[in-house]
Amino acid sequence: MSVEFDFRKELITIIPNLRAFATSLTGSFDRADDLVQETLVKAWDKQHTFQPGTNLKAWLFTILRNEFYTQMRKKGREVQDVDGIHAMQLAGHPEQQGHLDLQDFRKALELLPDDQREALILIGASGFSYEEAAEICKCAVGTIKSRVSRARTRIAEILGVEGDGDYGPDSISSQIIGVAPAA
Amino acid sequence: MSDRENEDDKLQTGQTPKTQPPAEFGINTAIGKQLKAYYDDVASEPVPDRFLSLLDALDQAESATKKNRE
Repeated sequence: MSVEFDFRKELITIIPNLRAFATSLTGSFDRADDLVQETLVKAWDKQHTFQPGTNLKAWLFTILRNEFYTQMRKKGREVQDVDGIHAMQLAGHPEQQGHLDLQDFRKALELLPDDQREALILIGASGFSYEEAAEICKCAVGTIKSRVSRARTRIAEILGVEGDGDYGPDSISSQIIGVAPAA
Repeated sequence: MSDRENEDDKLQTGQTPKTQPPAEFGINTAIGKQLKAYYDDVASEPVPDRFLSLLDALDQAESATKKNRE
């Protein structure tokens, strides 16, 4: 009965991150939550293999990602996005009305190859180090770095923004950071 | 090929050294900011009940199994 590490409690704190990552992988809120559910069941079954003190978040992301690609392989084409379906499903999310910048960004993300998109998310949003992302994706650190770099360049091209921190006064990004363009 | 790391199949990631993403990923860049907004749009939502119920069910199933073994 006595559990030195409260697995359930720790799991719950990471669910929001799992949902966000799953959404970026599946391109669908519904499928993301199904994927998270399968991940939680898997994680629960193999919780004895988790070593307390190591990175539970990275452990869970690895399970979720493996689960996603296993499903992709099983279902084959069925899972592949049919032109724009992803984007349309996401655009239909009720909270999204009015977030045009976010929708543009979402569409731009959808245009990236899967490996670049996941690298970008893991590094730029989930808060993993390059080493952690490389372990999650089972590839070299250098591979993650180049995928992220290519993803950034591509996104910047699609959105027509400079990727390295320069804001034009009329850039959409000035609205995002809430800074009024210099008059 | 030579720069490819050997990955064992264990899902342990605790002892990984950390290299923080470069500055261009900082929150002050256009892409960094939008990436965060995209991600937090989902990550900031409260945990749906379906997952809490699921964990309860898994917990109960596990306790039941343990009792049966005893």
